[in-house]
Amino acid sequence: MQIELGPLSRIEGHLNVKTTVIDNVVKDAQCVGEMFRGFEVILRGRDPLDAQQITQRICGVCPYAHAIASSYAQEKAYGITPPTNGRILHNLIQGANHLYDYILQFYQLSALDFIDITAIVNYHGTDRDLVQVRDWVKAELAAKNTFPGAPFLPRLKGQYLHNDEINIGALKHYIEAMEIQQKANRAAAIFGGKFPHATGIFPGGCAQKPTIDLISTYQALIEEVRDFIHQKYIPDLLAVAHAFPDYWHIGQSRGGFMSFGVLPLGPGADSRRLFAAGVLLDGKVRPVDFGLITEDVKYARYSSPSGLRVTEGQLTPAPEKNEAYTWVKAPRYNGQMVEVGPAARVLVDYKQGNNPQVTKLVDRFAAKARITAKQLNSVLGRHLCRAISAVIIADFLLEETERIEPGGPSALDLEIPATGEGFGATEASRGALLHYIRLQNHKIEKYECVVPTTWNCSPRDDRGNPGAMESALIGTKVANPAVQIESVRIVHSFDPCLACAVH
Amino acid sequence: MMNRREFMTMAAAIGAAFGVGNLPEPVAAALRQIDPQTIPKLLYLQGQSCSGCSISLLQAREPTPLTLITRYSQLVFHADLSATSGSQAMDLIERYIAGEAGPYFLVLEGAIPEKMPTACKIGDKSLASLLESAARTMVGAVAIGACACDGGIPGAEGNLTGAVGLPKFFAQRKIDKSVIQIRGCSVHPDWVWQTVVHLVKIGMPELTEIGSPKLFFSRSIHETCPRYHDFQQEIFAAKLGDGGCLFQLGCLGQQTKADCSSRWWNGGQTWCINANAPCIGCASPLFAKQKNMPFYRMKKRKT
Repeated sequence: MQIELGPLSRIEGHLNVKTTVIDNVVKDAQCVGEMFRGFEVILRGRDPLDAQQITQRICGVCPYAHAIASSYAQEKAYGITPPTNGRILHNLIQGANHLYDYILQFYQLSALDFIDITAIVNYHGTDRDLVQVRDWVKAELAAKNTFPGAPFLPRLKGQYLHNDEINIGALKHYIEAMEIQQKANRAAAIFGGKFPHATGIFPGGCAQKPTIDLISTYQALIEEVRDFIHQKYIPDLLAVAHAFPDYWHIGQSRGGFMSFGVLPLGPGADSRRLFAAGVLLDGKVRPVDFGLITEDVKYARYSSPSGLRVTEGQLTPAPEKNEAYTWVKAPRYNGQMVEVGPAARVLVDYKQGNNPQVTKLVDRFAAKARITAKQLNSVLGRHLCRAISAVIIADFLLEETERIEPGGPSALDLEIPATGEGFGATEASRGALLHYIRLQNHKIEKYECVVPTTWNCSPRDDRGNPGAMESALIGTKVANPAVQIESVRIVHSFDPCLACAVH
Repeated sequence: MMNRREFMTMAAAIGAAFGVGNLPEPVAAALRQIDPQTIPKLLYLQGQSCSGCSISLLQAREPTPLTLITRYSQLVFHADLSATSGSQAMDLIERYIAGEAGPYFLVLEGAIPEKMPTACKIGDKSLASLLESAARTMVGAVAIGACACDGGIPGAEGNLTGAVGLPKFFAQRKIDKSVIQIRGCSVHPDWVWQTVVHLVKIGMPELTEIGSPKLFFSRSIHETCPRYHDFQQEIFAAKLGDGGCLFQLGCLGQQTKADCSSRWWNGGQTWCINANAPCIGCASPLFAKQKNMPFYRMKKRKT
């Protein structure tokens, strides 16, 4: 039986998943990215300093990661290193963006897969938000609208959490999360200028000077976000995990893992990072070599050559190409399929013992949930690794604010060379993000982006091997093949961003 | 007295004939009295977009996003928030577009790939075909952000898909529907939500010659800039990180009509120029269009 799961909602962008189900098991899955813009072509011939602005528009959910990756690439190309304040401000902006994104991903994008939102009609308390939602739902049902309760209803058929107290509590936190993500974004905007799409991020630092008033406002906002992470986000996640323990074993991808590391601890983009970079293949972590990354296009809608390295990337759309089923290319590391994202970030760091806090948190949560680190490769594992990242990044950001020299220089007077090239790599909240810039005549000659969801929603490579999410879907048992809430939960655990994946 | 449903059906029919901007006065007056609990319904579709405008809409503070989608409007579908997906979602979208689920406003974020329709699909339908059908049934349309208004960065010079905004897309098909155009990359949440509140409480807002609510888009950023004094005194930033007027670094506040300079962003926390970042003109119809119009003017060029 052929079932299409698209259009998928509560993700970014245009994703379809074509499945073949036999005897209630997903035998095949194809991830289909349905939107193409062609950023890399649009960037050619432009002023290099346009790049950290233009590339943010690849994705309005994680724009800062693109600005940071572009800034790193340009710093390499220009041969510059930011002042210490400049790098710290980059980190403060990017880190706050991670926090907002994790909270949004859990509550707004994933929670409705597990939480029973209809429990609200049984609410008898006096909380203003919940009373408002309850009365609204009741009015909706009474008004006989064609689709009452949208956008929260209708929903997919499936088993949701039974405990009203947990359901209503999580719903309250869903509402609070809307406010908390704003606080994280306000904090980032202090130095970035606005969110989304910061105008204040540049190669070499930030235009804003970190005066003491701005720093203390930033700290106060992040402290509130940190409290929410510890007091609400993690308990809610553990409650979901407790109610759906099978999902520690559902949605395993069948390749390696890769992280580029995030949040450099010194001014140079090459400094050691809060989360370490590495490629985890066959149980061993090795350093990342960007030269080993290639992109296959046999099954993607391009007529440009397949298997090109990043520095030689090409983009010729071929919308009607035979065999092609998606706009997403198939990136591979040394020919291997890898998953990127929170689980990869945590596993790659954990295996190297880089950050003691990562080790401690993984061990603590694993003991609590009675799993091993291996189960981080699962639906719940990805959610847990987002939460672990959130805890560690929130603490780091507050420490980082103490390292600022208040009022000190935070930007460089930029000179654009005629030629130059550079890679910029970081972790977006969704995973490993790589930008490459090459200049000619003071202009962009080539710009390439290999983006987290390009890895995760990759189609088959030229040899026919599936991408990470495809591999995680294949083999999944589904109770109701036409609906497949199990598959939808797997998709959401990857937090796909299709605008990023295709760009 | 006709009931609400009958009225909205009529309003939809008239809206289809005249475009929402040209409603006859009795209808416009009646629109002003519509029960705010149930109108307007917003069918929110994404074209060639980055979701940045959607994310910006979640940054609304007072009223909160939840209040805005339960009390002032109803968001019947949004890819980032809707619980539903797959065929159930497609059924919902198609029933609205077929005119079977009651009156609705079409809200579009993102551009339309005019020369390559398969470059944007929702389910098994091209965005273009959905929009053509919606034009026949919608009460009106709101274009959200630079891409939906003018093509934005997907429509910038050298693009491969022929990306255009909704007004041009309709004009090329001789579809006579006015579109409320809310520019910005991304939009400011107030610009959109307060337009919705205006629709509910008062009716159609007054629009500028490029279809944007006058309430937010009548004056240039420069005119109300807190650094206007610096400009007059010729106190100019010479390099990144300097205070003063940012004109010499390339600030486009003079050419860009929007109220950022008085409204500020992220709940009034800050805005670009307050962070020493030159305005890049993201609310201008010309935003990012030309390769030879860089965002910044850094004086030095290393040889």
